[in-house]
Amino acid sequence: MKIMNNTSENTFSSYGIYDLNDNLELSLPNTEIKFQQISDNAFSYFREDSEGNIVEKMIPVKSSEIKIELAPIRPLNHPARRTGYVFLKFDKEIYLSENSAASIFVHCPIEIGIFLINGSNRESLDWITCNSMNSRFGLYGSPDTGTLCKYSKVSLATDYSDSIPYIEGVLKIIIENTLSSGQTIDKVVFPMTDNSLYYEDSKTIIDGIKITLKKRAVVHIVDVKTIAVETDWTKSPTWEDTTVGTSVEMELD
Amino acid sequence: MPLELLQNLSEMQIVGDLTVLSLLIGGIIMAGGVIIAKIAKLLFHKYYAPTLPKDTAKNLSKLIYFGIIVISFLGFTSSQGIDLSGIMVAGGIFAVVIGFATQSVVSNLISGVFLIFEKPAKHGDTIELPDMGISGTLLDIGTFSSKIRKFDGTVIRIPNEKFFTSNIRSLTISTVRRADAMVGISYKDDIENAISVIKNEILVTMPFILHVPEPEFRVEELGDSSVNIQVLVWHPRDDWSQAQPILLTTIKRALDKEGIEIPFPQRVIWDAKN
Repeated sequence: MKIMNNTSENTFSSYGIYDLNDNLELSLPNTEIKFQQISDNAFSYFREDSEGNIVEKMIPVKSSEIKIELAPIRPLNHPARRTGYVFLKFDKEIYLSENSAASIFVHCPIEIGIFLINGSNRESLDWITCNSMNSRFGLYGSPDTGTLCKYSKVSLATDYSDSIPYIEGVLKIIIENTLSSGQTIDKVVFPMTDNSLYYEDSKTIIDGIKITLKKRAVVHIVDVKTIAVETDWTKSPTWEDTTVGTSVEMELD
Repeated sequence: MPLELLQNLSEMQIVGDLTVLSLLIGGIIMAGGVIIAKIAKLLFHKYYAPTLPKDTAKNLSKLIYFGIIVISFLGFTSSQGIDLSGIMVAGGIFAVVIGFATQSVVSNLISGVFLIFEKPAKHGDTIELPDMGISGTLLDIGTFSSKIRKFDGTVIRIPNEKFFTSNIRSLTISTVRRADAMVGISYKDDIENAISVIKNEILVTMPFILHVPEPEFRVEELGDSSVNIQVLVWHPRDDWSQAQPILLTTIKRALDKEGIEIPFPQRVIWDAKN
């Protein structure tokens, strides 16, 4: 059974797999989670989040020995699942001169999922956000034709170890400008349903994206593709169904 | 024995050349047609309808069913040796008479066909018919009428002719919708500060309000008793209930926290003697 993390995040529970033999309490920033065995084949689940919302569930089980997994998930579910797109607004603009490329790390908000482990399957029990201000909506484009996205203002990160525990993971963005003029980039919009998350202790990294600014006929467009991270960190279970492709093209604005 | 029976039946004339046997064959053709139509409808519902929009599936299902019935009927008439040309002439005259008598029915039918092709709204859309003061969820566009479930839970049936000729406002066609509210602050309070506190409270406490585009504020009027500010916020189209009904509550809470006055109507009276 896992124990509380004794690092700088001290009193908070690490991501990972926990045995649910008797009672289990998990502590996350502004959030308390309690499992309690109420009979030989039933557990109760209690969660109080940062906004004072309480969720209580009964979990009937076949065996009294079950496991749960606490893992970061894509930031698409709070306050409600409405879109698969993420809109990251950079705190600093990035300038790319003509025919150049750059690689940056940015913080990207995450949510936390609680999964029941049933053999090799992970069944989603609940999800939370430790910073609800990171879970807001934004519109990319006009109200009639735009794309609804989860919106967050993000800062640049130094590297993969710069993850903010329980709140933000690190996302690598490769930007390539194939245009014949310099471009300033202050935001990125992409479908996140194919980006996997990986965790270690309380930190998270996310599959990267490659953005190519290019010209097609007379239109400048942005091509966004997902790039898998090569890491030995543990891959998070998937919370949502994958419904959006790996590549997206948008008009450059 | 069966051959003799058939022989007898073929010799039993009812009217003219119409025999009991030909009528029996016609009946078998019609019954077979109805059974085939029902099976085709059933298979369509089981295998193809789930992949189609509900309205399209329903109309295609009717088309398949009645198409097979009509083909069966034509098979029945030809098996009886009936000449349809006379019926066509008589039917044409009859259709004109029926057309005048059932003008509104035909109008509803034709409007229903136009609605199916034009698709101003589809099953499940939230719509408003401003001319009729009706708003709710579109349940069905039928052959003669359409059904809307109003927000109070009741279902209203609207003849297709009226529905087709009405202005239809779709509340779900865009990704986002806008909610608005008007609030008045006293003349002694700072407008910029009031806007700032309202904006902050909305963005912090209303998770469904979009941060892009940001809430918009317009000083709408320098009124008799207050400076009136219009607040405009965007939200995902399905989350109207998380925006419009609680917007004024949020605005008042923000102003109360900062001690910004929402003035009552007031009138200044000058005493001419003093």
